[in-house]
Amino acid sequence: MSLSRRAALALPLAAPAFAQTDNRPTLTIAVQKISNTNTMEPLREQSNVGSRTWFNHGETLIEQDWWGDLSLRPALATAWRRIDDRTVELTLRNDVKMHDGRTMTAEDVQFSFGPDRMGWNMATEQARNLFGSIPTQARQAPPEVLAVARRTYPALERVEIVNPTTIRFVNRTPDLTLEGRLSRNTGMIISRDAFEKQTNWLEWARRPIGTGPYRIADFRADQVLTLEAFDEYWGGRPPARRLRFVEVPEVASRINMLLSGEADFACDIPPDQIRSVERSGRHEIVGGTIMNHRLTVFDKNHPNLRNPLIRRAFTHAIDRETIVSALFGGRSVVPKGLQFDFYGSMLIEGWAPPRYDLAEARRLLREAGYRGEPIPYRLLAGYYTNQLAVAQVMVEGWRAVGLNVQIEMRENFPQVLSREGARGVRDWSNSASYNDPVSSLVAQHGPNGQQWQIGEWQNEEFGRLSAELETGTDPTQRRATFRRMLEIAEREDPAYTVLHQSVNLTAKRRDLRWQAGQSFVMDFRGRNWGA
Amino acid sequence: MLRFILSRFARAALTIGMVVTFAFVVLRLSGDPAQIILGADAEPEAVDAFRASWGLDQPVWLQYFHYFGAILSGDLGRSMRDGRDAMTLVLERIPATLLLTLPALAIKLALGIPAGMLAALHRNSFLDRAVMALAVAGFTVPSFVLGLLLVLVFAVQLGWLPSGGQGTWQHAVLPVITLGVGGAAVLARFTRSAMLEVLGQPYIRTASAKGVPWGAVVRGHALPNAAIPTVTIIGFMVGSLIAGAVVVESVFSWPGVGRLLVVAVANRDLAVVQCVLLLVAATMVTSNLVVDLLYGVLDPRLRSR
Repeated sequence: MSLSRRAALALPLAAPAFAQTDNRPTLTIAVQKISNTNTMEPLREQSNVGSRTWFNHGETLIEQDWWGDLSLRPALATAWRRIDDRTVELTLRNDVKMHDGRTMTAEDVQFSFGPDRMGWNMATEQARNLFGSIPTQARQAPPEVLAVARRTYPALERVEIVNPTTIRFVNRTPDLTLEGRLSRNTGMIISRDAFEKQTNWLEWARRPIGTGPYRIADFRADQVLTLEAFDEYWGGRPPARRLRFVEVPEVASRINMLLSGEADFACDIPPDQIRSVERSGRHEIVGGTIMNHRLTVFDKNHPNLRNPLIRRAFTHAIDRETIVSALFGGRSVVPKGLQFDFYGSMLIEGWAPPRYDLAEARRLLREAGYRGEPIPYRLLAGYYTNQLAVAQVMVEGWRAVGLNVQIEMRENFPQVLSREGARGVRDWSNSASYNDPVSSLVAQHGPNGQQWQIGEWQNEEFGRLSAELETGTDPTQRRATFRRMLEIAEREDPAYTVLHQSVNLTAKRRDLRWQAGQSFVMDFRGRNWGA
Repeated sequence: MLRFILSRFARAALTIGMVVTFAFVVLRLSGDPAQIILGADAEPEAVDAFRASWGLDQPVWLQYFHYFGAILSGDLGRSMRDGRDAMTLVLERIPATLLLTLPALAIKLALGIPAGMLAALHRNSFLDRAVMALAVAGFTVPSFVLGLLLVLVFAVQLGWLPSGGQGTWQHAVLPVITLGVGGAAVLARFTRSAMLEVLGQPYIRTASAKGVPWGAVVRGHALPNAAIPTVTIIGFMVGSLIAGAVVVESVFSWPGVGRLLVVAVANRDLAVVQCVLLLVAATMVTSNLVVDLLYGVLDPRLRSR
């Protein structure tokens, strides 16, 4: 090849211009909230809003196929196998670059589940002060991190490095759900080197160093999170040059941003806004049901709810089909109890919520001797999609059978859960973070779950069965245990009743080929772009 | 004069103390920050651990004791959400808020005072009625409605201006107009009624009867006397420069003190709320002090009292 002198002289000038050519778009995503805790570390930011962003900068060893059948699939681990009922062995990818430029090692994986990151070695007694709390200024993680880690991996004994690409997770007790637990975002793999260099845990948590397709470039709390493409990503060059998650609390403002072209995506769109978005012709609504069910929850200590017959009457006087069709335009479904299709062999086929039967509800109330005593219903105005409208449908149904339900508006969840005053019924939702009932029924209603811990509902047999389900290894026996637990919590001694599957709707530009998952998670990898 | 200023300062300190106490009582008794910050589905152990680390599990009276003691010693605390220094968080947001409230104040003054004067000088005319109709519309339309209307027209339909966020000067146009219109309307009504009251006074008639040109009567006698109630209102407007854009900042996703306050109150992030309230109270108190001093300048009779 011949090269003229003029061309050779021009090369150094042309090269930078060539290097700067990046035609990939910057995508702006208008979200209601970026992070509840103002941190990006999943061990602290456990919210739905946090899960929307984390999947783009962080990754786990195993992930869930949110865009397919929700099964577990390889991520930073290429394969895994069971050694025994306490041990899972994983093969690591050997081509994973981390955001600090290092190649991921087995030590990074071990460290990600180790005492420094998860807080296993944290002193139980820390400084207590309403202001200038010492833990927040320290290298050590705040205590809620340890609590989250303990709940996610309650019996994790150790993580062993077998060789540079093989690692073993060993549990103290048998646990068939260990692979599922590893797919939770708390298992995000981080750079050991970067973590050890940090001087302040909260500074680290605002910009953790992981392996995802985008790295955190800028995070201004309550304003904007900017992720920039990480071109050394093992899964290929990311399709966007930059992702901007902009916090826009008002739904009308988010839609306006989309319609005016300032945003490419607008999240958390209520069903009644679908028409106003799609009217433009240039935009569409994507998404649908996610792995989360809306529930009505009972406090069985309330004098009028002690008798399970009254709680059962509540469950029969809810017109779930009307809620789904009228308020969600058919985009939601009535769940098969507190379980999800992706439970696979653990799914109890044929299980359904109590049928809508006003006559049966009235009969149960008569049998219970209920005389119309008031029962409080602590309600938030708009925490869940269509929350007030769903509540109104339910209250009318309850009123029709003679239940005297008094709505008490509350401002926030602590006011709903407060032990002060009488608690009766309330709203809630339960997610399944992996494909086993332990992730929802046990986690939320078992002895360590919220309902049990705050003293709303406890049942001795249910508590015993929770432990059996967590440590049981015989699939047939586990299925039988799960069925019995559903019978107790949804029929015999109702802790809750399911209403409808939750819906997550996202408005977007019609010309962008992007798929919403069955979760709040948003994926901007190449595999979910342009298809 | 010194006694006057000292008494004002004592009153200001008392006011700030009451504001801080009120904020503590309302926020601590109406929601648990741990559950709010960590979320409705947070594991109970995480909530307990968070509470313990911030001392929220201690008796409320003891929390108040620590809280007030910390303030008196100059420790305004840290945000429970991300551990950052609360005062730094608030100070970072002030420039953004002033970018809206200062131009909005200029609009209020530039539109409101002349409009009110014009209406008063043409009392019961078509002009008077038109100005007052606009003023009534201006202050009765809530700012969030006006803001969304402006966005629909100028951002969504015409595409001339951004619908929200902060970036270029264009981003500030719609929020500034939204803020300015309501305030200008209030000021116009106050100016008009103050002017009307003054114009009915005997000294105005006397000046006119003595042959003083009407323009000179207005400039020399009416305006200075009508300024006292107007200055009071302007004082309130200056006092609300720091946190007077709460709703507008939310509608336009503007990252100012107002948005910070909304988020902090929703999360019961006590240290941050307290910092904002202290700043607002200090601004308001200072502004009122300046207004009190200005009374003396505007009305020589007050100087001798």
